[in-house]
Amino acid sequence: MTVAVIGRLRRLLGRLTGRPEPELSPAESERLTNLFRERYHSFRQLLAANGKALESMATLEHAAITGRAYGIDLVVGNATAVAVQVVQMIRHLEVLAPGRYGELAARFDELRQQLDRVLSPPPRTIDGRLVERLAEIAREDAVRVGAKMANLGEVRNRLGLRVPPGFVISAAAFIRTLEHNDLVTEIDRLVQATEIDRSDALFALSSTIQQLIARAEVPADLRSAVDAARRDVLGEIGDGVGFAVRSSALGEDTAETSFAGLYRSQLNVHPDNLLDSFLEVAASTYSPQAMVYRRLHGLRDRDTEMAVGCMAMVDAAVGGVAYTIDPQDESDRRVRVSAAVGLPKTVVDGRFDTDLYLVERRPLSVVERRIADQGTAFVLRPGEGVDRRALTPEQARRPALTDDQTIAVARTALELEAHFGGPQDVEWAIDHEGELVVLQCRPLRTARVAGRGPAIAGEPLVAGGVCVSPGIASGPVARVRSDREALKMPDGAVLAVDHPDPRWAALLDRAAAVLAEHGGIAGHLATVARELGVPAVFGLGSLDALGRGEMVTVDADGCAVHPGVHPEIEAARRAGRRDLMTGSPIGRTLRETLALISPLNLTDPDAPEFRPANVRTLHDITRFCHEQAVREMFAFGRENSFPRYAAKQLHHNVPMQWWVLDLEDGFAGEVTGRYVRLSELACEPMLALWDGMVAVPWDGPPALSGAGLASVLFEATRNPALATPFRKPYAQRNYFMVSRHFMNLQSRFGFHFSTVETLAGERDSENYLSFSLKGGAADLDRRAARARLIAEILGNLGFSVRVIEDTMTARVSASPQEVVLDHLRTVGYLLMHTRQLDMVMADPRAVEHYRSKLETDIGSLAARRPADEP
Amino acid sequence: MATRLLVVDDEEDFLRSIVMRIELRGLAVHGVASGSAALDYLRGNPDTVDVVLLDIRMPGMDGLETLRQIKACCPSVEVIVVTGHGSQEFSRIGRELGAFDYLIKPIRLDVILERIEAATRAGRKRRAD
Repeated sequence: MTVAVIGRLRRLLGRLTGRPEPELSPAESERLTNLFRERYHSFRQLLAANGKALESMATLEHAAITGRAYGIDLVVGNATAVAVQVVQMIRHLEVLAPGRYGELAARFDELRQQLDRVLSPPPRTIDGRLVERLAEIAREDAVRVGAKMANLGEVRNRLGLRVPPGFVISAAAFIRTLEHNDLVTEIDRLVQATEIDRSDALFALSSTIQQLIARAEVPADLRSAVDAARRDVLGEIGDGVGFAVRSSALGEDTAETSFAGLYRSQLNVHPDNLLDSFLEVAASTYSPQAMVYRRLHGLRDRDTEMAVGCMAMVDAAVGGVAYTIDPQDESDRRVRVSAAVGLPKTVVDGRFDTDLYLVERRPLSVVERRIADQGTAFVLRPGEGVDRRALTPEQARRPALTDDQTIAVARTALELEAHFGGPQDVEWAIDHEGELVVLQCRPLRTARVAGRGPAIAGEPLVAGGVCVSPGIASGPVARVRSDREALKMPDGAVLAVDHPDPRWAALLDRAAAVLAEHGGIAGHLATVARELGVPAVFGLGSLDALGRGEMVTVDADGCAVHPGVHPEIEAARRAGRRDLMTGSPIGRTLRETLALISPLNLTDPDAPEFRPANVRTLHDITRFCHEQAVREMFAFGRENSFPRYAAKQLHHNVPMQWWVLDLEDGFAGEVTGRYVRLSELACEPMLALWDGMVAVPWDGPPALSGAGLASVLFEATRNPALATPFRKPYAQRNYFMVSRHFMNLQSRFGFHFSTVETLAGERDSENYLSFSLKGGAADLDRRAARARLIAEILGNLGFSVRVIEDTMTARVSASPQEVVLDHLRTVGYLLMHTRQLDMVMADPRAVEHYRSKLETDIGSLAARRPADEP
Repeated sequence: MATRLLVVDDEEDFLRSIVMRIELRGLAVHGVASGSAALDYLRGNPDTVDVVLLDIRMPGMDGLETLRQIKACCPSVEVIVVTGHGSQEFSRIGRELGAFDYLIKPIRLDVILERIEAATRAGRKRRAD
């Protein structure tokens, strides 16, 4: 600071007295040289940190827009990476301008604390009793006992329907058990050490965690609470009865997330083994399927804590499932009752043929019976567990339900639909006394509930299984069982395999969709399908109904394969596609994180608002640090009256003033005096940019229509920044800052402001080129249109671009030197030739004319070599 | 002069393998399995280390505490923090941001080497000045 002030005073004094500036002593000269080198070093570090911060920001932004699944680790990891680099930038700016921007650190700290609040995991605690009686809970208790058991409590206590007696081991009890065994931190540690997108790692992790939970010690208070509840149930219905132990996780069985089949259930558990069974069901929180499901839906472990329901086992004579409407076709409002002799497990498993009854609502009547040859039934095994028992041919062919029973089931299901206010999926049983019992009820997942949009009408060729990667797609069926068949698979085919073998992963980037007879959500092939966004349904059973080469449409969300193509439905569904991440807890965390990191508010360095007090995001800090660092580097020579590190004016044949500051080795040798010639430059990027600038003569400003001119005049009277574009000294000239491989250009062509910065050295990974451009003289609409046109051209050339109003930024990084230099020629060309283009942006024909001229010229640049001295 | 690197990671298998792989690329490297061992090494061998590659998740003295102490005892040593796949530790890392760089596992070896090289250049420059 003091040095700068003395320098300024000295210079002022020199001007006032008309004497030349005094020569520096060798000692002073050496001191300044060292000081400059130190600052230059910090400047480069600052630029490197800036690049890394922008990269991490881009990763976060990309995650937010693509809708692909990501975990909290991506959000936290990249937010931390940005923060680490921002700290570096602030430190380096402090070296460049000691004491000048102290406020930045304070602003950063405020943002860090806000980020901290957003990113800190919520504590894994839930209040409430460890065990709750079914007789005492209702719908609103789902936050403690899970929706499945809360609904059953509602059915029993508010609707007065028959439900087996039982109780819930609450989510609080699950966490209490984890804590008692020090497993909360241990599980976090294990999860964090695993690359969860690799299926082998996922399965190993899942197995480790599940074993830890299954072997955990149940705390004494929970043990005695379960004992008491169990005694109550046995007191009510007598000894000798087993329990059905079922998952009732928080967030399970809601309209948004079903978790169907992801958790374990155990039937007919001996009362003495309830606690072991509780641990095993609780452990299934970490089944591979459940972990993948959470990841796909943006849920954290903390959003799906496990409560476990324990209900007296019903010795069912007949059992099954009722849907109150057709889940594939909502307009079909007939109740669909599936039934089997014995336990409802026969129906729930989905592996066996069972009876289906269709029941009209008004009047309540059975309108269709599809009686299956059931073959086997599940029955209670004496003591514990269930058995599969063969039915006699006569039993097998007999309808499982009478019409009266069917109507009783349908009526109960409709009562539940009326009470819960939507189509229901009801598991039921009829015991040997003929009493109907409700075992489970949950919202029926239909096309609309799943947010899928229009469905394909008509019977599917194949349906069922599990959707492992959502979406809809069509193509010819390619049945692949061998490598030979794999080679013959046409591009865009619907790949149909027996087993989702990882070796088929290589085919996925050519497949429209994937079907497998076996397999589930957590396998390797499923992971790859999701990663590539290829719709996939696994566990479909026989795919023999699909003819080779037959055109089919795979509706993965609906787990169905339909004949033919349905382009209008595909398009509608894609347009209305619900992004699973957006509303999810992790999606929300990402949005809140981005709000603190990504928006850029400090856009105009010449505006009075461009100061630390107005920093609102980490991006603002990076922008501010970058801008100030550039200014400080330019100011050094001037403030210290040190010509070696002051900018020199460029001798050239291009209009406008150009000034060049040599940072290190940007000049070919010692350049004395106030001027530098192009031939004296060693900065490769600058030479490439210059080459692009002069390669094609400029036609002059585009011809203006009256309206265009009026707009400029109006804008100039309204926008003070435009009315006085040359007021500030910094804005008057075009400044290059150069070393051999580095170049920074700040240019102001009238109303057009642009910055080009590049590093094009031997290390590809460090190379980058960033180009930003803002302003213009026309109204904002046309300035923005110009920004978009340039963004489009650069986007086609492989830049990643972003446009906010009339500001366009484009960046390429990690590219070979020659590629960066080629891009620089293009940017140089665009700098010269897009000036004032905003004027004509209201006329579509002019836009097309210029677009094609720009693209043709750019094409012709590619072959050029750097220009010689003009 | 070859980069002098200290790798701190409690997973012995990972440590052994990364030390070996980095040595093969011509860097002078020493591995330790804990934060306290890292500090002992730095104090016992002053000015012999350019860069520390530090895993943030370790039992005992964890990575962040180690980072804080390294920065206190040897400010010119650059530290590259490495974190696991599911790091959820912003709140803690947030308060200790003295790291030169921050890498998220899994990391390709050439990326590690590039970052080490950049940190070495930065650290040596800083000391030279």
